[in-house]
Amino acid sequence: MDERVNKDMGGLAATLDFDAELMLRVRDGDGASFAILLEKHRLPVIHFLYRMVQNQGVAEELAQEVFLRVYRSRESYEPTAKFTTWLFRIATHLALNSLRDGKHRRAEERLDDDSGDTPARQVSDQRPSVEQKMVYQARMEEIRRAVATLPEKQRAAVLMHKYEEMEYSQIAKVLNCSESAIKSLLFRAYETLRARLAHMA
Amino acid sequence: MKCPMEAQENAGLLLDYAAGKLKADVRTQMEQHVAVCTACREFAGGQQTVWQALEEWEPADVSMDFDRRLYGRIEQNVPWWTRLLQPLNPLFRHSVPIAAAAGLVIMAGLLMNRPAGLPVAPASQSAQVEALQPEQLQNALDDMEMLREFNHLVPDNADPKM
Repeated sequence: MDERVNKDMGGLAATLDFDAELMLRVRDGDGASFAILLEKHRLPVIHFLYRMVQNQGVAEELAQEVFLRVYRSRESYEPTAKFTTWLFRIATHLALNSLRDGKHRRAEERLDDDSGDTPARQVSDQRPSVEQKMVYQARMEEIRRAVATLPEKQRAAVLMHKYEEMEYSQIAKVLNCSESAIKSLLFRAYETLRARLAHMA
Repeated sequence: MKCPMEAQENAGLLLDYAAGKLKADVRTQMEQHVAVCTACREFAGGQQTVWQALEEWEPADVSMDFDRRLYGRIEQNVPWWTRLLQPLNPLFRHSVPIAAAAGLVIMAGLLMNRPAGLPVAPASQSAQVEALQPEQLQNALDDMEMLREFNHLVPDNADPKM
């Protein structure tokens, strides 16, 4: 019963969201609040987009568009949902459009070459040897490929669930699906990933 | 409890179980099920591998000029009358020092390039005074010459009573 009340009063609950409060201040002309929102959400949005399109340049360009849209929409902003739901809805929409427009081809091409744009991560405290670097890059390549082969919505759902730690209800709102559909979507996505990455155990 | 591998409505339960997010009572139920269900046990075990692998995937660093580019794009969409008020807007405060420095440079440039013969009221007055000085000098010299000639015409033994 309480849950239902909370759901019905989603708009009211959203007003308690600090980010939504900040966005309302942006609506009232407070640019400093926009700077705070940008500082807080810049990395999560760029990282989400990067993992979606798997190209750093495209991801940053899309993230610019996300924050530009947030700023442009400030006057019509209404806190009917959590701010992050709105933010990731914009980000997901742009990412899916970009993937459908074929901008992701560059990313897929990059998967084939060896010039991964992720900086080599140290595997141990010491500087990694060439062999360790190669092993690490091969692992990353497998992970990226596994995620890239997921259908777009499954990919978005997994990224929001795993990296942004969003609730099913929030992912459902972002992707405009029911909560049970999201659970099913995630289950299938993780099963696919499990099959592809099982040997990494 | 229906097996989550067969009943999609329980899919979330298995995911949350694997993630360790379930409340104690539900977790106990799931543990009992997983103990007898090979498929769920395999899924939960495999899920740990998936999450560990995903943890390793670190994105690249973000460009240093990301914010500058964004504010630049925002500024492009601002009408000119709003730009005039931008120094008062906290969003654009970062550009105030740059604008002030640019203003100073322009002012200095204008002052240095100003034509020398620009008419300025006080300067023209002093020029006029300077222009009169040679005339006054010439007049004074003429007067002295006339006086000297006059003195020359008067004889030295002339009776002063005349």
